[in-house]
This record gives sequence, C-alpha cells and structure tokens, in this order.
Amino acid sequence: MLVPTIGIEVHVELKSKTKVYSDSLNAFTPEANKNITLIDFGYPGTLPVLNREVIDMALKASLALNCHINQVMHWDRKNYFYPDLPKGYQITQQDTPIGYDGYIEIDVDGHKKKIGIERVHIEEDTCKSIHADTGTKLNFNRAGVPLIEIVSKPDIASGEEAMAYVETLRSILLYLGISDVKIEEGSMRCDTNVSLKEADSDILGTKCEIKNIGSISNVKHSIDFEIKRQQALLEQGKSIVEETRRFDDKTGKTVLMRVKETGNDYRYFPEPDIPYVILTKEEIADAKAALPVLPTVLKDKYRMAGINDIAIKTILANPELCHFLEELFTTTNPVISANLLTGDVMSYLNKEKVMLQDTKLTVKNFHDLVVVLEKKEVSSKQGKEILEVLLQQDIPVEKIMSDRGMVQISDEDTLKAMITEVLTANPDSITDFKAGKDRAVKFLMGQIMKASKGQANPMMVNKLLIEQLNRY
Amino acid sequence: MTNYLDLSIAELHQLLKAKTIKPLDLVLEALKRIEENDLNAFITLDKEGAIAEAKALETEEVDNLLYGLPIAIKDNIVTNGMRTTCASKMLEDFVPVYDATVVEKLRKKHAIIIGKTNMDEFAMGSTGETSYFKAAVNPWNPDKVTGGSSSGSAAAVSGRLCAFALGSDTGGSIRQPASFCGLVGLKPTYGRVSRYGLLAFASSLDQIGPMTKTVADNAHVLAAIAGRDESDLTSGHQPVDNYTEYLGKDPKGMRIAVPRYYMSETIHHEVREAVEDVMKLLCDRGVTVDYVDIPYMEYAIPLYQVIALGEASSNLARYDGLRYGHLTKDYHDIESLYKKTRAEGFGHEVKRRIMIGSYVLSGKNADIYYTKALKVRKALTEHFQKILADYDLIIGPTNTNVAYNVGTKMDDALKSFYDDILTIPVNMAGLPGMSLPIGFNHEALPIGMHIIGNYYEEGKMYQLASYIEQALQLDTNPRGRKSC
Repeated sequence: MLVPTIGIEVHVELKSKTKVYSDSLNAFTPEANKNITLIDFGYPGTLPVLNREVIDMALKASLALNCHINQVMHWDRKNYFYPDLPKGYQITQQDTPIGYDGYIEIDVDGHKKKIGIERVHIEEDTCKSIHADTGTKLNFNRAGVPLIEIVSKPDIASGEEAMAYVETLRSILLYLGISDVKIEEGSMRCDTNVSLKEADSDILGTKCEIKNIGSISNVKHSIDFEIKRQQALLEQGKSIVEETRRFDDKTGKTVLMRVKETGNDYRYFPEPDIPYVILTKEEIADAKAALPVLPTVLKDKYRMAGINDIAIKTILANPELCHFLEELFTTTNPVISANLLTGDVMSYLNKEKVMLQDTKLTVKNFHDLVVVLEKKEVSSKQGKEILEVLLQQDIPVEKIMSDRGMVQISDEDTLKAMITEVLTANPDSITDFKAGKDRAVKFLMGQIMKASKGQANPMMVNKLLIEQLNRY
Repeated sequence: MTNYLDLSIAELHQLLKAKTIKPLDLVLEALKRIEENDLNAFITLDKEGAIAEAKALETEEVDNLLYGLPIAIKDNIVTNGMRTTCASKMLEDFVPVYDATVVEKLRKKHAIIIGKTNMDEFAMGSTGETSYFKAAVNPWNPDKVTGGSSSGSAAAVSGRLCAFALGSDTGGSIRQPASFCGLVGLKPTYGRVSRYGLLAFASSLDQIGPMTKTVADNAHVLAAIAGRDESDLTSGHQPVDNYTEYLGKDPKGMRIAVPRYYMSETIHHEVREAVEDVMKLLCDRGVTVDYVDIPYMEYAIPLYQVIALGEASSNLARYDGLRYGHLTKDYHDIESLYKKTRAEGFGHEVKRRIMIGSYVLSGKNADIYYTKALKVRKALTEHFQKILADYDLIIGPTNTNVAYNVGTKMDDALKSFYDDILTIPVNMAGLPGMSLPIGFNHEALPIGMHIIGNYYEEGKMYQLASYIEQALQLDTNPRGRKSC
C-alpha cells in the first residue's frame, strides 16, 4: 500500500515596524516603490543593519513552536541571479537558524499528533515582479520585508493533517502578534512537498513541491489531488519526476511549473556584513516567560470548561474575542460568555464590519450581563437586547435593566400567586392537561408571561406550573 | 608659482589660520599641478565644485586641521553627486546619491574633495594597471608602477597634488602603493573606520584608510574618519584614541617583534637591509627587538584567493545592469542581459576573480576551500594575537621589493598576488597595518616598512612611526624641495 509523506515549508511575513535590514517602513502601501531605502535597492556601498525587533519576533515564534534556540547565530548569503533579488544574494540563516528541532501538536477529529519542526530561520523577502505587456516591472516595497521560514519535518500523512498543521501554526503565530498570517494576502505562504512510499518501506518516494496555495483549505485540496495524481502514475507503472507544481484554484488540480534542476548551487557563505548575534540564556528565558498562553493550550482549557468545539474554533480564530474571554474566564460562566461572544457579538461585528475594540463593549459590562443571565435575572431575549445596547453605549447593565423594566420575577411566592390566578381563569386548560394535551402547558405559560409583562422567570414558571397542574 | 601642497597638514593649517593663504589658493595650486603633471591620478575632477567650495569657505572660521584642504578620494568610495566608477566600465556613468560615512565626516570638517582617484578596477590589482581608465603614473619614476589598488591616491599624494587622500585596503591596497610611492599609508583595524559607502570588494577584509605625506598627517586624518557608525555593524564601539598624543613620544621600552618570514630570502636585500638599519636604530634607542615566528603567514595567497575572491564574487553580483551601471544594448532575455552586461562591463582581472570566487564557493568546494580557509584564518589570527600579547608592535618590510616596471605582472595572475604576501596576513587577522618610508634603493625608489599593531592600537603605531620618521629625516617629495 502506498502512503503519503508530506513536509511543509511556511514563509511568514513579520509585522515589525521596519524592514529586516533597513529602516524603511514595513507596511503595505498601494504606491509602488514607496517604502524603500538605498539598502533595499541593493545600492552600491550600502550595508545591512539588522533589526532587533525581528530577532525578538523570530525568537518568540521559535519558542512557541517548542524549538531549541541557536544562542550564537550568524547570517548567510544565498547567491543567485534573479531580477527580484536586488543584491544578487539573499541574506538568510542557513547554518544557524534561530530555532531548530521543535514541534507542534495538531488535532484531527479529536486525534492528537505531534508534527516536528525542522527549523525556523530569519530571512528577507524579494521584490515583487509585475509582468506587463510592456515588460516586467519591479516593486521594491516588499524587498527586505522580514520573513521567518518554518520548515516541518516530513511527519504529515494526509491532506487533512496538513491543513490542521497550517491552521494550528497560523493560530499560534496570530496569538504571538508577530504576523497577520493571511494566506490570501501573502503574509503566509505555504509550499508543500508530497511523495508516496510503500507503507512498509523506509525509502521515500520522489517528491513534488506544490507552490501557489492560496488558502488554508487549498492546502488540503492540493495535497489530496497530488496524492491521487502520483498514485495513478505509480499504479500505471510510471515513475514520478521531481518537479515544482502549482495549485490551480479553478480546476482544483496541480499543474507543472518546472522540472527541478538538480543541485541548485547557491554558494552559501557567512554574511560578513552582519556580526554574530548572541542570545543569552536570560534573554531566552525572559522571552519564554513572556509568551502568551497559546491556542493549543487554550483549546484544551475551553473544552474542559464545557465550551463546544465550534465556539472554540471561532474564538481561537479571533484573538480579540479570545483575549476578551480570557479576561472573564475565571469570574463568569465561560460557556455563557463564549456563546455570547461567538453568537451575538460575532454577528454584530460581522454585520457592522468592525473589530471588537471598535465597539463600546467593556469587560465590566459584559461580565455583569453574563452574571444576570446566569442568575436568570433576565431572559435570554432580554440578554440580547442588553448586549445590543452595550455594544453601542457604555451604560451599566443594571441601569439598562431598570430603564427598560427588565427585572425578572424569580420570587416563588409571587410566581405561585400569578400561576394560581391564571389557572383559576382558565379551568378548561386544566381539563385539557389532564386529558394529556401538551398544548395546554404552552398556552398557560403564555398567559402567565403575559400577565407578568414578560418579567416572570420562564424556567421557574414552567417548573412551578407543572407542579401545580399535577396537584389537580 | 607656489608649492604649498609640499607642506604638511599642520603647516597648511597654520597658514590658513593666519590667513596667509586661502583655501582657494590651495585648490588652484592643486588643479594647476594636476594639469601640469600627467600622473593620471584622477578619474574624475570636480574643478568647479572645488573652487566654489573654496570660495564659500573664505568667510568661515578655520576651526579644524582639515579645514579648506584639497583632498582626493579613491574612486570606490561614494560621493554624493560626484561620479564614482571603481575604475570600471560597469560604473563609468554612475553618480551616487549619497556620501560614504568617511566622506560625510570629511565634508563636515570642510575638507574640499577635488576629485576621485584612479585605482585598479574594483580594487582588484596591485599595480593600478587594471583600471578601465589606464594606470596612474608613479611620480618617482614613470617607468615604474605606482602599486595598487589605491594607485591614484598614492600618485596624487606622492606627486603633491593634494593634501592627503583616502584609499582602501583589502590585501595591501593602501600599504603597497604607499610603499612604492614613499608615503605613509595606514590600513586601520578592521572596524575602526566605517565601510558604509565603500563599494565592497571583500567585506570581511576591506578597510578605508589615510594615505599621507607624513605620520602626523596620517594621525590627523584617521582621527577625523574613525569611529563607530550605526550604518556599519562591523564598525567598532571603541572610543577613538587621541592619536596626536602619541606623536613624538619616546619609543624607549617598547617591545617589537620581527617575524622571520618577513626577513627571508624572498625579500630583496636592499629592502631587508633598510629594515635592519631601522631595527638597529630602535635597539640603540632602548627598544626591544626580537625575531619571532608566526605560523600560517605563508598561506596568505591561498587564503586571499578563497576568502577575498569568494566574497567578491557575491559582492559584485549586484552589478547586473538593472538598477544602475552599464546595461548591454543587445539582449533577448534575462539571461542574455546578465551575461552580456557583465561580460561588457567588467574587465579581464575582475572577471577572472569572480570566476575563481564563484568556484571556491560552489557546491562541495565551499567545504573543501572556504570552510577550511576560515579555519586557517582563525589559526593565523590566534598566532598574531599570541605575539601581540608579548609585544607592542610587529615590524618588517611592506613589500618584497620596491616599485617594479610597468607591464611586468599584467599577464601573470599569481604574480600580482605575490606583491601582497606580507600585507594580506594583516587583513586576515583584522589588525592595523602601516607602511612607512624608511629609505631608497639604488634607483632612488622608496622602500616601505611595515608596522603592525594590536587591535585599535593605532596610537602605538604612530608613536613608533613618528620616532623613525624623525630619526631618518628622509625627503619623500619626488618633486624635490623646490622653492616654496
């Protein structure tokens, strides 16, 4: 039987303030060649200046991916000629990647698996080539944008695992706040290597690299297709040619880009313009201590608290919701909080196209709302109404409730009196109930709620009503 | 007819300060001398700019030693708005948009840059003959080479065409021409002077330094250009020493080492004898002078070929015609654009060195050659450090001989490297090295002595050099002391 072996290389753009080897702004701008300096242009006589913020970000990522850290690092030159490479070499870390030999844990249908991380290294992005009829144009805005390249070990066995790996990686990096990690916008780029081998063999098959994967779900689709393609070839007795393929979103197929030239000669050697960087044990320990709680850990915590998987997924994909939830987690009911955040709050944000921090919702107000909901002092319908107000105005929950007469009646004696009154007025319904007609309860509930102007605690009313009916 | 440019920096400063002369007098004298002496020292002259600047300075206060002095900059150091060619067709029309850090520093001192000096193309050569603009001429004897690669800077200072010049030194490119032209040339400690704005040849070896008429001049210029530069991460944080304090200080009690390798049969006997005379002079003054051995020095050439040329092959990759410099007119795709642009733009020696450099970094060769060379370099450095832990300075000859005939080494790729066997080890170790005139051979050609110091100890080198200069009282002006 043939089984797939999959490894993934992920390039992630870091959102440092400035570029990795120059002080030009690292920011998107629609104007071509705006965020550039002479250094990014490979101008004669200029020298790279290493951006410390980039090292700190890469260190965070490496630690979050459970990597060992190279305490003594240097940079290397990767030499090749290409128009998008201004200096004729890329400054990267070949010999001493900042992080190596780490792992992350993925979760496919409740099944946990460790995927090894081979290395994490710092490098610079190239220019963007824009091919027009009049020739190729170069936009240097991207030249020198800091990247980390995260190379997995070939531990991935299916398209689904690959997708889970990329998703997990993405959520971790998002949590670290070091990148936008938007695969659609190119701030995260995945290249996958796929090969097939006999299940009982140690010899790996010939691999093909897939580039141009434009979304997380396409990680799975492209790999699934590629596995089938290679399988079909092998079953026909044909051999796999080592090649680079790209995924075509429209057809759902991988197509040949180029056959791999053997032995690309990049003439690596240590970058003489950047002195060695030494990370002390203290620096590394401090960075480790300062890491936020990671989504992989949060996921388990939320599950233990009883939050459902769909809500967990939504929360983890939206760090702002997660930070909000974390602030409330120990002081309120996490399930109610999570449901409100992923339900009403999310749909408000989506509808208004705003971020949570753009709304007026405060942790304090949200906390109070969850408390009155949990105590059933307001109905869930009232809760929605209050939330709607809180998203737009910072008004205490108590005040909204009293302004709108939203006090819920939960006093047993008061409720019992109301029930008795309604039952006395509707003797037919009691008869119906005894005859086994469920509708009678619904009708009576409606009457009681109406009589209480909607302020009666419906769950208590329901309980007390049935108790009383059974007594007849 | 004036001869102010025969004077030292301090002497010129006195005259300027006393308003006996104006910066314009010096600039005009410089331009006149350049016109009259066909030394081909300059690739680009900025007559109008220099005159305008000199005039503008007349109303300002003469506030420092370099104020108003006409100076020259090697043409691999960028000057804003002034063509910088690296003596290559590749950059024949390249006009930089910024000043190198050293240029910025000199401009702030109001030194007047009169032009850019000739050199071996991309600093690759030891005679000045690989220049696309033809070789500079040795003022001592037009049949002899100036040395290189800072050929034009050496010719300009030796010919007294300017007050001083900057050169750059990767394997001996300041010291060797200084020695051939009777100058004081210093390659500072690697990191003492910012490389920002120096068109890189071999980044781990390159260093900019002063080429001057006297030891004191040299100290004044180094003080002006040295220091940490945030634009060059390899520049050192050490505070800049007060070099003038060392000038004229008694060398008595100093400990000096002479590597036996430096005094072998390979060295011409006239050169050796001149160095021995100085050794005797020092001994008489109470200086300890011992012969020592420094292993691995003999590997200088292979080390240079692997490390310097490997780095060069990468540093010169950016000259592809796409953003600046020469672009071929005749291409049909990106590959032919690269090939033709570079084939047309680079000269023979540069191409040869790029090829060797690419070869030593290629595939498995990187391990066989490059990694091994780094190990040898480290070992050599450690041996230097061992000696310098016991001794203040190391001395010897700068070169195996004096300036040789033009055209003799052009056809032999290895021979021109052999000029640098005594100077390359110093670059490999990152130490400061100086060439100081100590005499003349039978043809009246200058002989240079090499002084090597410990890291950031240029001060001690000036101390020794100024003593020797004072003791020998050589006339190093090839123009002869005419009336002033």
